[in-house]
Amino acid sequence: MATPEVHHLFHAPIADHSFSSDKKTLAVARENNVELYQQSGNKFTLSDELKGHEKTVTSVDIAPNSGRIVTCSQDRNAYVWEKTPTGWKPTLVLLRINRAATFVRWSPSEQKFAVGSGARVIAVCYFEEENDWWISKHLKKPIRSTITTLAWHPNSVLLAAGSTDSHARVFSSFIKGIDTRPEPSAWGERLPFNTICGEYLNDTAGWIQGVAFSPSGNALAFTGHDSSVTVVYPSAPEQPPRAMLNIATRLLPLNSLIWNGETEIIAAGHDCEPFRFHGNENGWQLAGSLEKKAGEAGGAREESALNMFRQMDLKGQAQADTKLKSTHQNTVHTIRAHEEANGAVRSFSTSGVDGRVVIWTA
Amino acid sequence: MSQINYRTINIDALDPESSANFPMESLLPATLPQAASASDAANAATQVRQMLRGGDPEGALRTVLDTAPLGGDDRAKEVHLATVIDVLQGIRQGEMTRILEGVCSGDGGAERADCLMKYLYKGMSSAAPSSGAQSPKKSVSPQDTGFSQIQARNLGEGGGGQQMSVLLSWHERLVDIAGTGSIVRVMTDRRTV
Repeated sequence: MATPEVHHLFHAPIADHSFSSDKKTLAVARENNVELYQQSGNKFTLSDELKGHEKTVTSVDIAPNSGRIVTCSQDRNAYVWEKTPTGWKPTLVLLRINRAATFVRWSPSEQKFAVGSGARVIAVCYFEEENDWWISKHLKKPIRSTITTLAWHPNSVLLAAGSTDSHARVFSSFIKGIDTRPEPSAWGERLPFNTICGEYLNDTAGWIQGVAFSPSGNALAFTGHDSSVTVVYPSAPEQPPRAMLNIATRLLPLNSLIWNGETEIIAAGHDCEPFRFHGNENGWQLAGSLEKKAGEAGGAREESALNMFRQMDLKGQAQADTKLKSTHQNTVHTIRAHEEANGAVRSFSTSGVDGRVVIWTA
Repeated sequence: MSQINYRTINIDALDPESSANFPMESLLPATLPQAASASDAANAATQVRQMLRGGDPEGALRTVLDTAPLGGDDRAKEVHLATVIDVLQGIRQGEMTRILEGVCSGDGGAERADCLMKYLYKGMSSAAPSSGAQSPKKSVSPQDTGFSQIQARNLGEGGGGQQMSVLLSWHERLVDIAGTGSIVRVMTDRRTV
């Protein structure tokens, strides 16, 4: 396994990060701004700042084809940023929410994006040509608490959402005139806006922190504050799922997950390192960490007796171990596929509270 | 004119959108077993104590965790807690690790580990029966949020000291086997014991 590529950008938490499709531009949400980094050689250097939000930016996403950037923030606003010869131009989106916006993602078609919020709604936003602005429709029922995470189905109509009411739900976000009618699937046949195609609660009922559809869109995985990963295989519309598998791990809670093919999930969170899960409809299990533990063998360095007593005198401890053995030095917030082909992930990127963006080979 | 002190009205209770009115029962999974009554718990207790006397501590612990009244009323839960603590106290220090490994493996082993962890925390949070003088069930937070499994903590050096040390040594060994994830699930799981 190749060593992960570490980019330590700054000493502040990264709420979210996103790469452009050519992987040369990296957008990270840092406090009230979004910073754009350009790759030069094997380093990323700060090239631009998207300023406009008045409170902490919670999420950022770059559309792979159009290159448009969408951001959302605790100031209850979302902006779509477009590149013009004079710089990045923001367009305000009418979200109509009265609580913080928490999460935003472009649909695969890039015609729409969805914004989760603390107002117990998901705003599905699309561009209206006549009025020349982004407007939103609300997915409201039956959300009982803050939306923490969202994920799009490959057909750009179905949307999965995780919430602090411990439920993961699958909604239809079909908008007439924007979307083409999706193929019928196990999730549903007719899908008018706000159809609930699935509502799932696992036994231990933690707040949901991450959701993801499998590459085919026929399975849903979610993870939450109960340190478990749950995988759902739907059977038919209005029917209970064919299988709902819960992997209760012995780890600290996981925050974010991605699928690698149909039989592998990579997830990361409060243990500061990514973990791999393997399985299928008959069962899933934790396969182990993706971290190469080099520190354990080399960690026990020869220390001279003089140095040891000096350290004990100065700091009251023989060895100062303030560094974690993992690549990330703090909680991982976001994990994203970096390079993928036909659903198989070749590399993925993680970012977290320690201000690092790390690119891993899967 | 009646005199109403408007400052004392709990406005959160009147607001249907408020988190104070969050339907806690929506967090209970559909697989929750039927509510067990106190007499069911007492029957289970007799069976378990027999196994314990018969020299099968592993079977006793396994049974007591499998019959936990997750959907039961408070009385049934109290009776069952006493049974679990009896079983835990009836197992010798040297045998703990071996028995735990047996109980936490095989089919449903992870659920049993999580269930035992719930009992350890419940046992540590509730006043020991022998220490007596403590006021029962005083919530730490001013409002009853429903989110806390912590009751008045048994901080005194009373008769609960010995029970506490047994629970702590079980806790230590259980964390070795089931990891920190198990502790996290005690906090999130609404199927309380």
